[in-house]
Amino acid sequence: MRWVKDDIQTYKKGKEYFDTVIVPVIPFHLSQDAELDKSTSLSEVMNILAHEIEKELSGRVLLIPGYHYIKQSDKEEEVKRINSWVEDIQKQPFNHIFFLTFDPSWKKYERELEGNLLWLPGIQSDNIHSDEMHSMIRNQVAQIGELIRSYW
Amino acid sequence: MSEEKQQVSRRQFLNYTLTGVGGFMAAGLLISPIRMAIDPVLKPSSVGDYANVGLAVEDITTEPTRVDWKIDQVDGWYESEVSKAAWVFKNEDDEIMALSPTCTHLGCVVSWEGSEKYPNEFFCPCHDGRYYKDGTNIEGTPPTRPLDRFEHKVENGMLYLGNAQERGGA
Repeated sequence: MRWVKDDIQTYKKGKEYFDTVIVPVIPFHLSQDAELDKSTSLSEVMNILAHEIEKELSGRVLLIPGYHYIKQSDKEEEVKRINSWVEDIQKQPFNHIFFLTFDPSWKKYERELEGNLLWLPGIQSDNIHSDEMHSMIRNQVAQIGELIRSYW
Repeated sequence: MSEEKQQVSRRQFLNYTLTGVGGFMAAGLLISPIRMAIDPVLKPSSVGDYANVGLAVEDITTEPTRVDWKIDQVDGWYESEVSKAAWVFKNEDDEIMALSPTCTHLGCVVSWEGSEKYPNEFFCPCHDGRYYKDGTNIEGTPPTRPLDRFEHKVENGMLYLGNAQERGGA
């Protein structure tokens, strides 16, 4: 289910069926011109990926709004902030929290995160709508889905 | 000019008016049957809401295969391409079945023989929902009704799928 009213109403009716939260973790910046193309494209792909995973497993997974942060910010601080999100999420009986990210700098702080970090190598493409991109994303979704299911 | 005008007598005037009004009434009565008769001609040759899913009918076997296609959908604020999917196969009566992969429990995506434990069934990975091959939900698993079935059409040997129809619960 997604963070929209209709989905949340379904979620509220069947809370006992939902035990997994997916948090897309997406950097933001406007300061480095050279990086803008790459950052926005990765952010787009992450959103598509997260939605597709949610579609595949919608009856057990809640996709919450993305966690955005300034790219060059201090990760120690970000870890604290993201863990405060987890604290709020766990006011509900969720057993599994997955952070999805393309940013490798989180890897170093993985152990301090109160959830599973799924770092994925960034998928780059000139055209996000190409057939090639579609099959690549579909492939990724299938594999990530399998990984998530292995935790259930 | 004014003299010519006076040449229209009362009788003539009434005749003209009545013919005019009568003509309108006749046209009004005739328009619906005529419209009905020629309507099919006006319809575009493409099959309305049906979409070509890129599968030749001769390639459909008794083994469910997943087909994916896209449709344009305007949904409130968004105009978008929506991807759709179906499990297509021929049943014992050689009839084409196209089942929606959306679990009727909470909407996860089911797959044919998705679990090794349950061969010859559709399986939902979220809460172990199961369906027989014809899409009927198996009692004792979370889903409460069968998988929706797509309307289908065959044109030039290609399979066209329309809307998914809900079916009664088991």
